[in-house]
Amino acid sequence: MTWDFLLGQFATQFGLWWVIWPAILLGIVVGILPGFSPQNTLIMLLPLTLAVKVEVALAFMIALYCANHLAGGIPAILVKIPGSGGAAATTLDGYPMTQKGQAQQALVLCFTASVFGGLITTLATLALLPWLSQIGLVLRSVEMVIVMLFGLTLIAVIAAKDFLKGLIAGFFGLLIGVIGTDHIYNTPRATFGFLELYDGVPLVPALIGLFAISEALVMIEEKLIVGREGQAKAVSAQWAGIIDGLRLSVKYWWQIIWTAFVGLFIGIVPGAGASIAAFVAYQQSRLWSKRPELYGTGIPEGVIAPEAANNGVTSGTLVPTLALGVPGGSTAAVMMIVLQYHGLVMGPRLFASNPEVAYGVFVSMAVAYIFMIFTILPLARYMSRIVLIETTYLAPVIILVTIVAAFVERQYLFDMALALAFGMIGYIAHKTSYHVTAILIGIILGPLFEQYLVRALRISQGDITILFSSTLGNTLWALLVLSLVLPFWRTWRQKKALAAERFGDER
Amino acid sequence: MNKAPLGADLIIPALALCFAGYFFFSIADLAWEAKANGVLIGTVLIVLIAIQAVRAGMELAAGRGDLSLDTLTAPRDALPKRLGMVLLTVVFITAMPWLGLTLSLFLGLAAALYLMGVRRRAQLFWVPFSVAASAYLLFIALLNTDLPHGPVENAIAASVAWF
Repeated sequence: MTWDFLLGQFATQFGLWWVIWPAILLGIVVGILPGFSPQNTLIMLLPLTLAVKVEVALAFMIALYCANHLAGGIPAILVKIPGSGGAAATTLDGYPMTQKGQAQQALVLCFTASVFGGLITTLATLALLPWLSQIGLVLRSVEMVIVMLFGLTLIAVIAAKDFLKGLIAGFFGLLIGVIGTDHIYNTPRATFGFLELYDGVPLVPALIGLFAISEALVMIEEKLIVGREGQAKAVSAQWAGIIDGLRLSVKYWWQIIWTAFVGLFIGIVPGAGASIAAFVAYQQSRLWSKRPELYGTGIPEGVIAPEAANNGVTSGTLVPTLALGVPGGSTAAVMMIVLQYHGLVMGPRLFASNPEVAYGVFVSMAVAYIFMIFTILPLARYMSRIVLIETTYLAPVIILVTIVAAFVERQYLFDMALALAFGMIGYIAHKTSYHVTAILIGIILGPLFEQYLVRALRISQGDITILFSSTLGNTLWALLVLSLVLPFWRTWRQKKALAAERFGDER
Repeated sequence: MNKAPLGADLIIPALALCFAGYFFFSIADLAWEAKANGVLIGTVLIVLIAIQAVRAGMELAAGRGDLSLDTLTAPRDALPKRLGMVLLTVVFITAMPWLGLTLSLFLGLAAALYLMGVRRRAQLFWVPFSVAASAYLLFIALLNTDLPHGPVENAIAASVAWF
């Protein structure tokens, strides 16, 4: 790959602006709606992508994919309804920022973290592709069990206010996540006799129910979703809010970079994905923060970490797809279908036979991110005004439209009823302080954790010591223990320092 | 002294306990690979619920709580709206296969807005109309999903075919 080749690729992709821009707009619209994953949208638009030239189809798919990942954070910040599982962690600090009247800043942080996180990891992928492709081979089921545990420790973090309630919510979610057929024999477990649950609990209805419907049922109590101070700030939303958001983005530039790389590394592992990446990034960000106690109260780092990781995943997912011919996720699988239709076979040979396609994918992604920041940033000012809509109008629209969106992923009417059932559970959990995010983490990570655990145990024929059999795995175990112990050690040190200070004052 | 409404606090543990019981029943005859993870999670969950039950029992015994559901029903003036929205959603889901997406969304949203206290006719028409029209354009015209078609969708399809 020469510089001339690379510059030529960039020029070609910039020339496809007429495809990239509509794809970005469509990606944002469908990304805001829970239920529309990029793969769903791409499958629905398959006839269109098959009918055009391969480079046009790729530019369209990549731009839509990246925009979709970015847009999931918008409703998560404004109305506490994540557009996708990957944006669920964004609600933890994004929504409190909105309630404090900082919706504009939170949106700008979401956009810049997503765009620059995505852009940096895409450029890194372009430069380091041969080495990055090895990560997927190094991280096996044993190591992935530990990566999942990193995500699950977030339950303990969320449960900080009422540890017992948080753990009950998390384990309840984990058990719900086990519903469906098992990974070895395909025997159904706890499906209540519904065939629709044989594939497990679908994420979208769970997400819609636990967040959108339960939140809408709660917001009925108030006239607006923000307090007086928030209303005043939303009414007078000026460009200064965007500038302030940009200032915060510059201030936390390092946070954007390292959490984006968390997303990249997790995205490379086939089957992992944005949800686990966002949760792990949030948990790690809190762990290494100088002010962990403020997480969950509406701070910029809490928005940046999940959003940067969420978009770091976009390039990571394509690494095994292009380098090994193994789709890193369902969206990558759809892209593979389109490429195969055009006579291109994914895998290492693609770089020799069609380098303009193989590298073009990442160049296209970088260009899409550049277009995206200019498209979405000015919209933050107007988007933030959604909080001024009275709940009299907002709640019914949220409930009925998201119920419809619950249908889209699998096209079962059953999923609408399931979303309502989760809405009821979410409402009760919300009102009685059982954290709905903890339930959702369980539902998302439970099946993945089981899948990797059973696979590892199957390899060792039931010997649990396999989990401690690799150097990388043991290193990850040590880091996991460290991440669990560190907060306690830090609290102990703070208390000790405080006590010493008091003792000094008394003297 | 206000007593803590522990009845509401115990609903999620009660649901989780019932589900854990059903889960164990459903996996009783399965191979170890199919149950290992579920048994582990279910057992921990039951232990946690037991601790929560003991905690609630101690609060009750000390007279600091009661078994009321006040947390769930407060504030009382929002309760009819909330229950009405849930019932309306059930009707909406049930009616959609017959009415189709667009009409059911229009009627459902108009009814929901009325339930929430909106009385101005223009708003009761234009808000549901714009949402239903947008949903039609996005879900059916653009993305061609399999959402149920009803009189509106069929009429539009027939008109398009005729032209």
